[in-house]
Amino acid sequence: MRLQLLKIGKQFPGVKALENVDFQLLPGEVHALCGENGAGKSTLMNILTGNLQPDSGEIRLNGQKISIRNPAQAAELGIAIVYQQLSLVDTLSVAENIFANQQPRNRWGFIQYRRLFAETNELLQRLKVVGIRPQTLVSTLSPGQKQMVEIAKALSKNPDILILDEPTASITERETETLFGLIRQLKNGGKSVIYISHRMAEIFVIADRVTVLKDGRYQATRPVAEVSTNDLIKLMVGRDLELHSTASASTEDVLLSVKDLSGPAFQNISFSLKKGEILGLAGLVGAGRTEIAQTIFGYLPKLSGEVFLNAKRLTIHHPADAVAAGIGYLPEERKTLGVFQEMSVEDNVVAARLSAARKGRFFNAGKRAELAQTFRTRLRIATPNTRQRVVNLSGGNQQKVVLAKWLLADPAVLMVDEPTHGIDVGAKAEIHELLRGLARDGKGILLISSELPELLGLADRILVIREGQLTGEISGKEATEEAVMRLATDNQ
Amino acid sequence: MKQLFQDRVTSLAITIVLLCIVASVVFPQQFPTFGNFSQVLLNLSIDTIVAVGMMLLLISGAFDLSVGSVVAFSGGLAAHLMFFQNVPVPLAILAGLLSAVLVGLINGYLIAYQGINPMIQTLAMMGIVRGGALMVSGAGIQNLPYWFNAIGQAKLLGIQMPVWYMLLTVAAFSFLVNKTVFFRRYYYIGGNEKAADLSGIRVRRMKLYVFVLSATLAGVAGILLTSRLGAAMSTLGRGLELRVITAVILGGASLTGGVGKIPGALMGALFMGLVANIMVIARVSGYWQEIILGIILIGAVWIDLVVQRRTKAK
Repeated sequence: MRLQLLKIGKQFPGVKALENVDFQLLPGEVHALCGENGAGKSTLMNILTGNLQPDSGEIRLNGQKISIRNPAQAAELGIAIVYQQLSLVDTLSVAENIFANQQPRNRWGFIQYRRLFAETNELLQRLKVVGIRPQTLVSTLSPGQKQMVEIAKALSKNPDILILDEPTASITERETETLFGLIRQLKNGGKSVIYISHRMAEIFVIADRVTVLKDGRYQATRPVAEVSTNDLIKLMVGRDLELHSTASASTEDVLLSVKDLSGPAFQNISFSLKKGEILGLAGLVGAGRTEIAQTIFGYLPKLSGEVFLNAKRLTIHHPADAVAAGIGYLPEERKTLGVFQEMSVEDNVVAARLSAARKGRFFNAGKRAELAQTFRTRLRIATPNTRQRVVNLSGGNQQKVVLAKWLLADPAVLMVDEPTHGIDVGAKAEIHELLRGLARDGKGILLISSELPELLGLADRILVIREGQLTGEISGKEATEEAVMRLATDNQ
Repeated sequence: MKQLFQDRVTSLAITIVLLCIVASVVFPQQFPTFGNFSQVLLNLSIDTIVAVGMMLLLISGAFDLSVGSVVAFSGGLAAHLMFFQNVPVPLAILAGLLSAVLVGLINGYLIAYQGINPMIQTLAMMGIVRGGALMVSGAGIQNLPYWFNAIGQAKLLGIQMPVWYMLLTVAAFSFLVNKTVFFRRYYYIGGNEKAADLSGIRVRRMKLYVFVLSATLAGVAGILLTSRLGAAMSTLGRGLELRVITAVILGGASLTGGVGKIPGALMGALFMGLVANIMVIARVSGYWQEIILGIILIGAVWIDLVVQRRTKAK
């Protein structure tokens, strides 16, 4: 047994990220780790690499109990990780990236470039990576080549355990082949690989065993030869619904219709949203859902396609056009895109409709305060007063402030992107109720969510996006987590 | 008390009053006189007009280094046209102002629409426009038409006209920035540009406008300065951009954007003007003035950070 995790637990404020998770890794094994978004895969890997400390449980490496306090120590213990988001410096060469902060130096402390390049070359050849020179700037490489450099960087310290987090997310099929060749090579050399991927097909090709997590809990570990895709999906999603659908407020009047919309990240998306309807947009992280909403909103440029609101064709070049037409968008990244952190609750509430805070022709601070006060009461925003800076509010209350901003702007269509992401349970329920209320008032809601229970509980219909394509539509009544996941993951 | 110190305009106003009281006690003959005060105000009037535009730029999260050169160029161009080409005074002034608008349009377009960094763009523009100023005013142009000189040299109620223009500019923009939706948007853009865009504010267009506005105010300042001196010189406004940025930051702006009030521009300039004036009266050498102003700037920003850290700790 190379690595053993026993009853690992990790608690974040308001969420149990991991609970009693077991995991075993053998020498020369490729072990896949599966689970929905938020199942706890990342948390578990962060514990292995020393970024997070577990609250309970123990880690055994080669039979010895250890604790991993920081990434540097993880590296010393022979654990290396390749993250989903690349961590390379674009403006430096391949060699400098691979040996970042551990470049060979002479006795005066100066970097020996010749040795640096030679060692890099050797490493790349050993990994059978062709076509990349040590001197090449990383910015000129393809995503797949970058991935290879990233792996070379991880392997430069000669680890026993290599963790790959969604390594094929941004690379081509041929590059995937090269990657798999590399993984097999490592495996034959007795190294262990932990392989995290959403792509079922890959797991069956490359992995020996698979462990499934669900909601931070250990589900099962199986040899891949003994399971089917359906078994895995069942293990990943089979759970009780927390939300129960209420009566639909959907009508037959089409409010928003999107025809053949294409952007760099998605192709030929067509759908319609009815008055009073909550339309869910499901898919894995990176499937293109956010891009679709941001393109409709005019924040990202569209390549082709048309958007109609109340049967009128819209010309949207900027979010201002969308807001004027009656479309709102609540972004996923609350801190960077949603709120004005250093500004007051009042300023935030009126941001999308400053003209509402006027008395006569002129902007009026009293009117602004009055509006903010109304929404503070209506949405139960917990803040000492409306002049409080938003940065001092909790995540749930910040999100309510962003919602208040859109309620004031009063669009006919509101697109909400992961509206309850990172929000505590209480505020979450309130936001759900609010969205239902908006639908009852005849608004159209486009709900993007990676939380299946949320989608199943709220949406009247669910559209599923996979890799930029609309792969199916399920009515809210018939939708099950299995059905959605089947459309969202690629399993031919 | 804490509230008082969190608003820079009030805390600076209090500091200025205290400074005046102390200076009046120490130099009762020279300092608290009508003549001295009107001289202080006259000296800072040009800077303050430019500072109003700069304050708005800093609120939106940008700044402009080319304003000093624009001051020299707009005045120089107007003088050149009047003196060498016999262009009527109003038309020459209009040309000077239009040249400033053009500089603002180029800065704004390249920064907002093409993504050139404001620091680099306006630094380059500072050099380009200064070169232009050298071309139009050469070794200096004197003997400008009477009517032109009257703009900056006339008095109203015993106070020089530039002081009135300054007060008018500050009052008008204080009102506009406080009371119009258009100008309020700059706080959002400076606070979080992406969130502003996603709230339906046309960030690029607004940025273009503010560069045009600040350059135009610099153009107005250039015409006024040339008129007040009765001469155009290519060196006018040299170092003005940094003086103005100093005043605006003293007045409560931040380089990260989103904060600041228009009266702060006047307060910052007034504070700097008074410090300089008192040092002249006290016969402190000019070298020390620069050193002391530098220390005051660092001190003011530092105090701010300490106060912020305290409030965050609580």
